[in-house]
Amino acid sequence: MESLPVTEPVLLILLSLAGEPRHGYAILRDTEEMSDGRVRLSTGTLYGALRRLLNDGWIERCREDDNARGRQSYRLTQLGRRNLQMEVARLKQLTRVASLRVARKEV
Amino acid sequence: MASIWRSLLYLYPPSYRREYGEEMRAVLLDVQAESSGQGVWARWRTSAREMAGLVSGALQQHLRSMTGFNRAIFSPRRFAMHSEFRFPKSTAVLMIVILAAVVMAIEKATAIASSQWPRTNTPLGPIHPAGFTFLPTMAVVFAIAAFAGTVGWTVLFALQRSGVHRLSACNPASEERSGLGLGTGS
Repeated sequence: MESLPVTEPVLLILLSLAGEPRHGYAILRDTEEMSDGRVRLSTGTLYGALRRLLNDGWIERCREDDNARGRQSYRLTQLGRRNLQMEVARLKQLTRVASLRVARKEV
Repeated sequence: MASIWRSLLYLYPPSYRREYGEEMRAVLLDVQAESSGQGVWARWRTSAREMAGLVSGALQQHLRSMTGFNRAIFSPRRFAMHSEFRFPKSTAVLMIVILAAVVMAIEKATAIASSQWPRTNTPLGPIHPAGFTFLPTMAVVFAIAAFAGTVGWTVLFALQRSGVHRLSACNPASEERSGLGLGTGS
């Protein structure tokens, strides 16, 4: 039941999986890095979000060579990628308008 | 620290533990290994964050397993069933105001009727007002309507007749947005 627009943690998880499949810990590190340390997901929060995204068909599990210690990788599905593109387009439009408005105010 | 985190995994429903328990344990071990090289304050923050995340995650999964509700408990968009379809809260408020007005009208009519009864030749006696009851009446009707609405919605939700499950079953953004011309390539 994930719907657009998504929350920031979910957006970061999707962006983390946009480049390549990642396992849980790699997603945690990547989201923290992408947000400059501002968003630090806990393991419980991450897996709650991953479960919702799995159930909604936005991501899927995939095999990984390094699957020791119960590691499981995830990747975006076509639906997840399409929704991520739509969300990014929405954010682009929003930041464009915001930039124009702020610039106009500063003049 | 990791032993406390692992024990908190037992708060999750068994089905969830079977599916994600091993993965979460592995991630928690990685998090612990990373935090072991940090200072006391950073380790404490990491521990608090992980424990809070595990407890709230377990609560959410239990709620989900009981109700089938597939969303975070404290989501700010609880009423947003779909991005293009939002619950008309203003309509609900207006309906409650109308209901309160009807209740008040009945109350006034009863007061007027009781002042005229029994009919005598004497002029109409003073109308026994029900007092200035607008605000109390509104408050009571609001409370009753909110309670009844919550109970009704909970029953419908438990029976999976609220419509939320049907919305979650269909692909979000599949039909409505397919005609927007956005690319789907990677």
